[in-house]
Amino acid sequence: MTHNDLASLLQQLEQAHAQRAAVEERLRAANEQLEQRVAERTAELTATVRELENFSYTVSHDLRAPLRAIDGYANIVIEDERGKLAPDSERMLGQIGENARRLGRLIDGLLSFTRLSRADFNRGEVDLDRLVLEVAAELQESGVAGNTRFEIDRMGTVWGDRELLRNFWMQLLGNAVKFSSRAGRPRVHAGLRIAADGPIFFVEDNGVGFDMRFAGKLFGVFQRLHHESDFEGTGVGLAIARRIAERHGGRIWAEGRPDEGATFYFSFPRECHGDDSIKLA
Amino acid sequence: MDTSTFSEAIDVLLVEDNPNDAEFAMRALRRGPTAPRVAHVEDGAKALDYLFCTGEWAARDPDMVPKVVLLDLKLPKVDGLEVLRRLKSDPRTRDIPVVVLTSSKEPRDIKQSYASGVNSYVVKPVNFEAFNRCLGELASYWMGVNQSPVGSGG
Repeated sequence: MTHNDLASLLQQLEQAHAQRAAVEERLRAANEQLEQRVAERTAELTATVRELENFSYTVSHDLRAPLRAIDGYANIVIEDERGKLAPDSERMLGQIGENARRLGRLIDGLLSFTRLSRADFNRGEVDLDRLVLEVAAELQESGVAGNTRFEIDRMGTVWGDRELLRNFWMQLLGNAVKFSSRAGRPRVHAGLRIAADGPIFFVEDNGVGFDMRFAGKLFGVFQRLHHESDFEGTGVGLAIARRIAERHGGRIWAEGRPDEGATFYFSFPRECHGDDSIKLA
Repeated sequence: MDTSTFSEAIDVLLVEDNPNDAEFAMRALRRGPTAPRVAHVEDGAKALDYLFCTGEWAARDPDMVPKVVLLDLKLPKVDGLEVLRRLKSDPRTRDIPVVVLTSSKEPRDIKQSYASGVNSYVVKPVNFEAFNRCLGELASYWMGVNQSPVGSGG
């Protein structure tokens, strides 16, 4: 190898080195830019979340007062003018009040739904046997459950957020109780079946059921499959249940037939199940 | 009772900026069996003036204390939480029972109120009948059931 060859090699080596340094510098700059962009987007998202929080706060406070005023004055007029109003006028005043109250319930439902996404998620071991019995007892004590007969199988424990799961069972059992309230002998059965990829929980009732063609609408906010005059409610209960299942990484679905009851199924991912619940199989 | 004249003893101080809610609350309170004497102020600054006998109430007898203060949270000038903190951190007013009566169900409002020493937290029902019932129950509890610190000495 001549001296010239060596010098040329050395030059090439130096060039390669410089190129590599330049690439590294560009990469570093790109990384920095990416990090900055992520930070910016995170800040934007945080601001949006805060804005939404403030919005629901304003909704909860500011919309309630005028609604109460509408309902209140309509009622006062009915009360003070009793016997002096034309029957139809009294009926219409009653409708004003009724609709104000209904809007109030819708706002409450919407708020409890949006509050879910903001709620802290504290994962721990939750004793479902106890929790489900507590919820059923609460429904009975408050008179909501009427003469419903509950059958509750053993379910073991899951890993999840106790408060959210409590709300979840409250919605599902409450839903089952409501829509079976007109059955001759209302019955609600909660339990679990073992499938190939883990336990599937279910809540089954012998109530009015639903048409599977509308199953997709069951879990939407404000979606109702029955008239409010038949079954009171705002149409957020099952939307809340779905949101809670999703926050646990699980899923929920339903099967039913008109007048033949409904069954709600839900499953949680494997990491939500302790050894205990598997042993139940 | 008119704001400018309530120099005599009262049972309930109602702190409420919404004139409709104030009208409903006073109507419901007065129709109940306890028929409490109610005074109404529409902002936090006036509530503090009344309870600390300052401003337009500088000549008021400080020994005449309401049996309960019904306090809205969202108020002009001085907000309800601030009024609550001032009342509960002063030995002269600490014992006066304060009930927050608000439209807010927000967990942070509930937490902050209890942390500041509120005696009770009540959410105003939207439903007018439920609102009347709620005010009636508040009146019978704070006028009848509850033993008030006011006038209980000796």
